[in-house]
Amino acid sequence: MKKIFVIFTTISLVFTACEKEEEIIEGCTDATATNYNALATSDDGSCIAAPTDVYGCMDTGATNYNPLANVDDASCKYNLSLNFTHTVDGNALETDQMIYSNAATQNYSVQTLRYLLSDITLHSANGTSTLLDEVHFITISDPSTFNLDIQDLNSANYTAISFTMGLDSLKNITDNYLNESFFPSFSWPDFMGGGYHYMQLEGDYTTAFQGYATHTGGTDGIDFSFTKNFPISLNIANSNTTVIINMEINNWYSNPNIINLTTDGIMGNANKQALFQANGIADVFSVFYPIN
Amino acid sequence: MKKQALLLLCSTLFFACTKDLAPMSGCTDSTAVNYSANAITDDGSCIFFSTTPFIIETPSGFPDMNIPTNNPMTVEGVALGNKLFHDKILSGNGMQACASCHLQSAAFSDPNQFSTGIDGLIGDRNASAIINVGWNNNLNWDGSAISLEEQAFEPITNSIEMNDTWINVENKLNADGEYPTLFKNAFNIDYIDSNHVVMAIAQFERTLISANSKFDKYLRGETQLTTSELGGYAIFNSEKGDCFHCHGTQMFMDNLFHNNGLDPEPFTDLGLGKITNNASDNAKFKTPTLRNIEFSAPYMHDGRFSTLEEVVEHYNSGGEYSLTVDPLMKKLGVGLQLTNQEKQDLVAFLKTLTDTDFLDEN
Repeated sequence: MKKIFVIFTTISLVFTACEKEEEIIEGCTDATATNYNALATSDDGSCIAAPTDVYGCMDTGATNYNPLANVDDASCKYNLSLNFTHTVDGNALETDQMIYSNAATQNYSVQTLRYLLSDITLHSANGTSTLLDEVHFITISDPSTFNLDIQDLNSANYTAISFTMGLDSLKNITDNYLNESFFPSFSWPDFMGGGYHYMQLEGDYTTAFQGYATHTGGTDGIDFSFTKNFPISLNIANSNTTVIINMEINNWYSNPNIINLTTDGIMGNANKQALFQANGIADVFSVFYPIN
Repeated sequence: MKKQALLLLCSTLFFACTKDLAPMSGCTDSTAVNYSANAITDDGSCIFFSTTPFIIETPSGFPDMNIPTNNPMTVEGVALGNKLFHDKILSGNGMQACASCHLQSAAFSDPNQFSTGIDGLIGDRNASAIINVGWNNNLNWDGSAISLEEQAFEPITNSIEMNDTWINVENKLNADGEYPTLFKNAFNIDYIDSNHVVMAIAQFERTLISANSKFDKYLRGETQLTTSELGGYAIFNSEKGDCFHCHGTQMFMDNLFHNNGLDPEPFTDLGLGKITNNASDNAKFKTPTLRNIEFSAPYMHDGRFSTLEEVVEHYNSGGEYSLTVDPLMKKLGVGLQLTNQEKQDLVAFLKTLTDTDFLDEN
């Protein structure tokens, strides 16, 4: 019995020793590596990782270009610039000059032009829409308001741009925009229905001694805001795309209604507001965009 | 007995000695208000700088107040600003405080047409009322300052106002018995500088809020207006009187500048135009709020009108033509054509903007 035990122990030792002496093959033992060596018994740190898919935006012109990406995941974002321009008879507006003539053959100048555009929206072919800005205030005394930079828009084929001149009745409520730059100067008195002006267009007419004030807004409980929708064909997968929204000032007074400038206020005059609304809808605004 | 006495003496000496030799204890945290540079062991006495926020309650119909992030409102800062505003230490001869020309009973304006400085020199603008100025985008009649802090720098060194130097003011305040502690508590500073003086004054000015006039109470349904006052309210808010375009909303101002037809050219005071160097801004002045207008006479940037009736008559007559006169003033030669009753009603309405709580110095 003692002998058997000794032998068994010896065999065990020998066996263990044999295992230890087995040949060591150095190499890459990571099965996911490109240089995986199936015979290698010891990893020598030489493994080269297989390239993994890095999803991201691969367009160098995009705002979120990812230089590490190797699979484009259609996530590219682009900037869009909206420019608001103002013309009289097609020429860039010059302020404080009695150089303009309207359809009623009155000479006039422009001293003040302030207005609100709301719900500025891009529409794409697949029926989705993207709200660019809920309310944008433009005043010619502050050129920084002529530009609205929209950042990180999805790449898409946009088929239309729309906006509302003024504020619709859901928005046009006193105290809705207390913290906006157009408060308090754009407020429309509660006494006259509350809310805000849509536009304040002011200057002199006929002589420098007579001022006019084309102040549009909701009157007598009537919502005189209107929405313009312009078909466009715009793929913004180009950096720095600019879309121009122009206001032709003379057209407020000409088509289809010839409107005389007067010193009388028009804020309580729903008939006049309706005439301006119709002219505004007709041809006051136009949109220009780059042709791809 | 003798032995005992000797022992006691020894003990006393011993204790005395240990006391002298013991490391000095105190507050060792250098960020604490009572940090002691000599202390070696901290005795837990450290007091850290802390202030109590001063909460501005935004009146109904007002936007959020635009408070600079580097000068948050604190109870300590406001109290310090209040003291500084009323302290003649800020003037060259110790005879004038801010409050000397900005009297609370006059809605923090000067009842005199022009204020007289410490050297007897007289200015050419009426001291602005200080009412709800925390909502002003610009300060001064010509908009020459764009923050209350910036504005407060100016009168102290103006030769026709308080005529001091900032170095001198700083020295006086740092040598004062109270101010170093008050500035330490408000701003955690050990040396009083001009920046913190104007910061405290600006904090105080932001608390000068008036929104509890008879008109406010009327809007809240707490009181009724008389027939005459209501008539004035209607004229004010219609294009007949057309007051609201510049003095609209519950702020009773538009945060803009206008030429309201006071003078023909050539202008003696260019107002905003002198600041912007833009001729189209000539003779434009900041629209003041009409709150407490009954008590902030005289009126206009140069205090030319002493009564509200004169002011109403100016607008009623149409004003003078000039290149920069506001288009809304251009019923020149025609005017508003208000009846005497309508003019009285308008003045009656303006007086509903008086807030006695605001004017009361107690």
